[in-house]
Amino acid sequence: MRNNNGKDMYCIVSRNTAYMLLFFMVAMTACKKLVPKERTTIGGDSGFTLDTYEPILGRTTYFSDNFYQGSTTYPADFKIINVRRRTGEPAPELTDAFPVKVWKAAYTGEEKSIAEIEAKRREEYHSILEMSPHTGDITFWGAGKSDFIFAQPDSGYLFDVELSNSGGRRFFRNLKLMPMKEIPTLPTNLNAMTGQPVGENFGLSFIENVTGIKNSSRNLGFSDVDVYIRKANPSTRNTLTFRFLDTLYQPMNPAIFNTTDWANLVHGFNMKKTDTYVQYDVAYPIPLVSVPTRYTTSDGRTARAAFTWSRIGFGGARINASFGLNFAIYDPGDWEIVFAFKNDVPKTTDDL
Amino acid sequence: MRLFFSVIGVLFITGFWNATNGQTKVTLKGRVTDKDLGTGKPGVTVSAGKPPVPVTQTDENGGFTVTVSLGTNLLFSHAGYNVRDYKVTAADTSDVLYIELEQSGASSLSEVRVEGYRTKNRDAATGSSATISGKVLQDVPVSNVVELLQGKVAGLDVQNNNGSPGGMGTINLRGASSISMTSDGYLRPTSPLFVVDGTPIDVNSGYEYGFQSSGPGISPIALIPPQDIEKVDVLRDAAATAQYGSRAAYGVIVITTKRGLSKVPIVSYSAQFFTKTPPKLRPILGGKEERLSRIQAILDYDSSAASALALINRYPALSDSLNPYYNNATDWQKYFFRTTLNQDHTIQVRGGDKTFNYKTNLNYYQEAGIIRNTGFKRYSLSMNARYWPVENFLADISLQGSLGQKQAGSSNTMDQDKVYNAIRSSTLMPASIYSGTGEVFNLDAIRSNNKSANILGTLNLQWEFVKGLTLRNNFSYNFNSGTEDTYTPSYLNNNSSEGITYSDRRYVINNRVSLDFVKMIGEAFQLSGGAVNEISTEGFRASRNVLVGFPSDQIEGSIGYNPMRSRGGILDNLYDKRIVGNLGYLSFNYDKRYVIDLNYRLDATSSNGPSAGYLKNPSISARWNFQKEKFLSNLEWLSYGAVRGSWGRTIAPTGDIFDVYGKYIIGQQYNNNPTVFIDLNRVPNVAFLPLTTTKTNFGTEFGLFNNRLEVNYDTYYETVDNEGREIALPNTSGFAKKMTNETSMAKFGHELTLTLRVFSPEKPVQWTVSANGALNRKVVTRLPGGLREFVFPVNDGGSNIPVVYRLGKDLTPLIYYNTGVYASTADVPVNPATGKRMQLGNQGFYMQGGDPRWVDVNGDYVIDDRDLLPLGNPFPRATGGIYSTVQYKDFMLVTQVNYTLVRDILNEAAATELSSYTTNIFAGGAVPPIENYNYWKADPGEKTTGTVGAVYPNPYDFRRAATLDPFRTNQSLFLEDGSYWKISQITLSYNFAPEFLRRFRMTSARLNLTAANVYTFSRYTGPDPELVTSFGRDKSKGYPNARTYSLGLSVQF
Repeated sequence: MRNNNGKDMYCIVSRNTAYMLLFFMVAMTACKKLVPKERTTIGGDSGFTLDTYEPILGRTTYFSDNFYQGSTTYPADFKIINVRRRTGEPAPELTDAFPVKVWKAAYTGEEKSIAEIEAKRREEYHSILEMSPHTGDITFWGAGKSDFIFAQPDSGYLFDVELSNSGGRRFFRNLKLMPMKEIPTLPTNLNAMTGQPVGENFGLSFIENVTGIKNSSRNLGFSDVDVYIRKANPSTRNTLTFRFLDTLYQPMNPAIFNTTDWANLVHGFNMKKTDTYVQYDVAYPIPLVSVPTRYTTSDGRTARAAFTWSRIGFGGARINASFGLNFAIYDPGDWEIVFAFKNDVPKTTDDL
Repeated sequence: MRLFFSVIGVLFITGFWNATNGQTKVTLKGRVTDKDLGTGKPGVTVSAGKPPVPVTQTDENGGFTVTVSLGTNLLFSHAGYNVRDYKVTAADTSDVLYIELEQSGASSLSEVRVEGYRTKNRDAATGSSATISGKVLQDVPVSNVVELLQGKVAGLDVQNNNGSPGGMGTINLRGASSISMTSDGYLRPTSPLFVVDGTPIDVNSGYEYGFQSSGPGISPIALIPPQDIEKVDVLRDAAATAQYGSRAAYGVIVITTKRGLSKVPIVSYSAQFFTKTPPKLRPILGGKEERLSRIQAILDYDSSAASALALINRYPALSDSLNPYYNNATDWQKYFFRTTLNQDHTIQVRGGDKTFNYKTNLNYYQEAGIIRNTGFKRYSLSMNARYWPVENFLADISLQGSLGQKQAGSSNTMDQDKVYNAIRSSTLMPASIYSGTGEVFNLDAIRSNNKSANILGTLNLQWEFVKGLTLRNNFSYNFNSGTEDTYTPSYLNNNSSEGITYSDRRYVINNRVSLDFVKMIGEAFQLSGGAVNEISTEGFRASRNVLVGFPSDQIEGSIGYNPMRSRGGILDNLYDKRIVGNLGYLSFNYDKRYVIDLNYRLDATSSNGPSAGYLKNPSISARWNFQKEKFLSNLEWLSYGAVRGSWGRTIAPTGDIFDVYGKYIIGQQYNNNPTVFIDLNRVPNVAFLPLTTTKTNFGTEFGLFNNRLEVNYDTYYETVDNEGREIALPNTSGFAKKMTNETSMAKFGHELTLTLRVFSPEKPVQWTVSANGALNRKVVTRLPGGLREFVFPVNDGGSNIPVVYRLGKDLTPLIYYNTGVYASTADVPVNPATGKRMQLGNQGFYMQGGDPRWVDVNGDYVIDDRDLLPLGNPFPRATGGIYSTVQYKDFMLVTQVNYTLVRDILNEAAATELSSYTTNIFAGGAVPPIENYNYWKADPGEKTTGTVGAVYPNPYDFRRAATLDPFRTNQSLFLEDGSYWKISQITLSYNFAPEFLRRFRMTSARLNLTAANVYTFSRYTGPDPELVTSFGRDKSKGYPNARTYSLGLSVQF
């Protein structure tokens, strides 16, 4: 060190200042370290509220609200891992990609052609069992069929879910997947376990003010009409046909149901109305989306086909009669719905 | 005269210096003058000796006579002036000694700082503290002096979010110290402890839990007249607050009132005449425009044209436009807001000498609120006296009695619900008591009279029975009584008159005994220490009666009411608390160069659990005045410099005695005997601890270039542990809840104060700028049960915005994140699996064009609670202010600018405005002009396609609004930057020349013109970025802040 001149003094000052600054910096960084780092949380109280999934094969099932968030911070990542058969061997049939139809735009019920509907959905390849990446929702795609997927009464499959975010990860093990056999229509005559028919036909959904021809003093009821939903084999196109049969199982002319809104009976196009049937080109499944449209029931779960007519009844009263069916069809093909008036035929002419 | 001074000055400066330094007693004659004004300064204390003892005071001309030994240091001190040190030499005896006192602010190092019942020179203060001179609090007439502390001290965050006369805003030192929230969204207030002339006043207790409690709503601090304040000390860290013990955890603000110091009594009178003007009122659509807007909305968005017509016809306000009753354009705001003229008068008489001095202060303050039927009056009489007959005995007494009288109008202190609703009622209605706003419109018929009386008394005794050993006793008493009387006549209250009487009383008694010693070892080493015991008892009790159905509106009596519907009794917020503290301290001071303070406290409170016992609260602090080091002493530019450091712990009692011991309640009768059993709602927690704060502080302060630039920097890290929080217990335990201590938070930040004197002291123009700023952050560090995160539901009057507590993060509201508006239904995302559009809740309510585009965080195509995100920062990160004084001859211009930065506000005001298009579509309500908003408009003839790139959703679709609530507050659409810069004060003052005043026998006279709360610069679109809750929500129901213009005169005889 040199003499005590001004320069040296400055040197000492700056060194002291430097020490002081260093001290403060150390102090501040020390403080920062004391504070816990902000991280998201995987909640100990979170979990799946549904651990057995029983989708029906052949239709797309979307399981939602099946995960209790608890104190888990969203967004979090969900991943299905380790899908396996009950025997423990892997289940590629659930993890391999299959072509499925996914919606790209919202179906509104206002579409004017099959092409317009088809433009709103597209074919993509997805695993049959799929989980939304940020929510525990499970999609079981309709491409899954019982010919390659073990359906009940088989005990089905097991899978695990990995939940992770920046707070850590957690595994939920041994969730069960036990698909049910295909039930292509609603209402159905098939047994859910065996997939075999247990009845020949089923009844109407509603029938009102329908007077029979034979006995005009009695209104026709649910037991007077049998309904059959059948798929043509082999099916070549996607159509839906309505037929009406009299007591002798002879075809009736649909035109007698004179106030029926044929154009909007179902969301179908190219209506072919003959003396024996009415046929539409349709897009399957019916209903396409379970939202309420003019073609569905008010909850949107099933399509609603209503046949109505108006006549002057006994004493000159105007009678508005109707019958119909709430139905769903999940399997594409040439389907027909047949109404058989087995006991009496509805009266559609005026009482004069 | 001037020649006389010049001669004296020349003699003094050229000085006959005498090197002899004997111990002979000499008699000095001298005169003390104000350096700036050149006039004699009366009442200056002259002290001598070590430690300095006052020996005399200057007379009305500033003259003094003193007999001391040669070589004695004389100290000349006067409040508001820098202490002047003068060493007596033999030369001084032959002539008049001429001393100039400089107004303080010139060099702040010589300030006297308060640290816990002891005053220290600032160069011996180890803690972090700041002083505000009473002078800067005189020019703006306010009902509550806290309003003026805003922006004056780095780290003291005052938000004047309650303009109610006599009320108080939010005040936090170094940010809020609590993370407890009430279920309606208020943060537990953590105001610093106020100590007024030695009496602790805890402002948190009267205002606990969100202001909704009944009572007169007068803050105890509002009863202190600002003109009587000598100075305000703000103590920030543990070292500074250690002496105040168990209530000092949130910091301490010490208010010292003026004192008599002149042999000739000084009579001073000051008056302020001020007008308060309401803020800019919100624009609304008037009359016909309101009707047409509503009719158009119904026609456009009802389910069918027939239904729309039926609806319009059903509501005559919409359809009967020719009826004069429904054909008005009433601007309700102008009926409720007004410009008021107010006044404030103070007379102060003070005088006395060293052995006995006194002060009496009489104050009358009257403020009519800018909302009709509100106002505040203060009558205050305070006096203090000091009796100092012999050197070793001193007695101080002070008494302060004040009465506050408040008209609360139609609502309580915090919210002005009724006015809020009234000014939002339909403009179509006539301004009469028959319309929906009758109750508020006819406010004058509601007789509301609230009073708060406050008595503060202190007695200080000090006896130095052995040289260097002093016994002190400080006794203080505070009694506060509040009453509320409200009478609502029957025609305003559903044909049933209502009389409410409320009364409360609160007392605080403190006694503090201390034994202090001071010992000089050698020349430079000073050792001091002592032991202190303090006890405090505090009680509160309130009762409230609501009598309903008097026989007529003229009878407001005790008989004739309907007992079936009347209620009353003691409120359950009563308490009785005790606090005991023992303190030992030691202080080492070597040559004022190195100072070390050690404190050790043992505290117990009655709300501790019995097994918690006495809590040990140590603190240690040190200071190094480095400019006194030899190697730095020849630096000309360094006037002073110091480094400080401190660490310490303080507690604050939280919770109540029932948390600790449980509660017995009275049950049903059994066999004709009353039953008593334990309250199973809450399990007793005998280990319950008070809230504990641990503060670490480092600071440095230095003055450069002859104190032209002064810098004061502090950095701190503070933890708040053991905060009480109720947790739910498993039902197998038999009890429902438990109060735990498992919540902690930490806060840290920086504070910087810069004072710059722009011109050298010789210049005629003096400009001083003092700027301060504070950065503050707080984070949650511990949650009950080891949780990392939980969500606290807040039920906030309809807009429920939960708050997330997450480790490592501050409390944050959970809101939806907006990314604009769906231009058309086709833009709404579709669940690829189900084909369903995005919906609100899993209830089949599908989004469409014109709806807000909320981000679906978890990707389930359902907008619900799981899509809420913690967004925004409700607490100010940076606060501070700039204070500028320009002085030229007798004129002075003072400007104060305050700022609050990096803070987000949920603009509930805008949310309410916009939703008013649909919320009251039939009943009616004022609607704002919407042109200023970029909102979604439907394309012609369409309902679900419209404006692309709109910011605000469709305001007119009233059919869907009930479910969708497109203008809900809990969305980022209303999260706005709440930073602001506010010009809070501009004062121009003039001091009359003494020559002129002598004719009127005045010693000084001062005239000032002040504008306060002048203008706020902010990007915030709501009414006022300051008028928001402590959690950053602009409910717009609060009392707005008025702009004040004031003319003040103060004279002194």
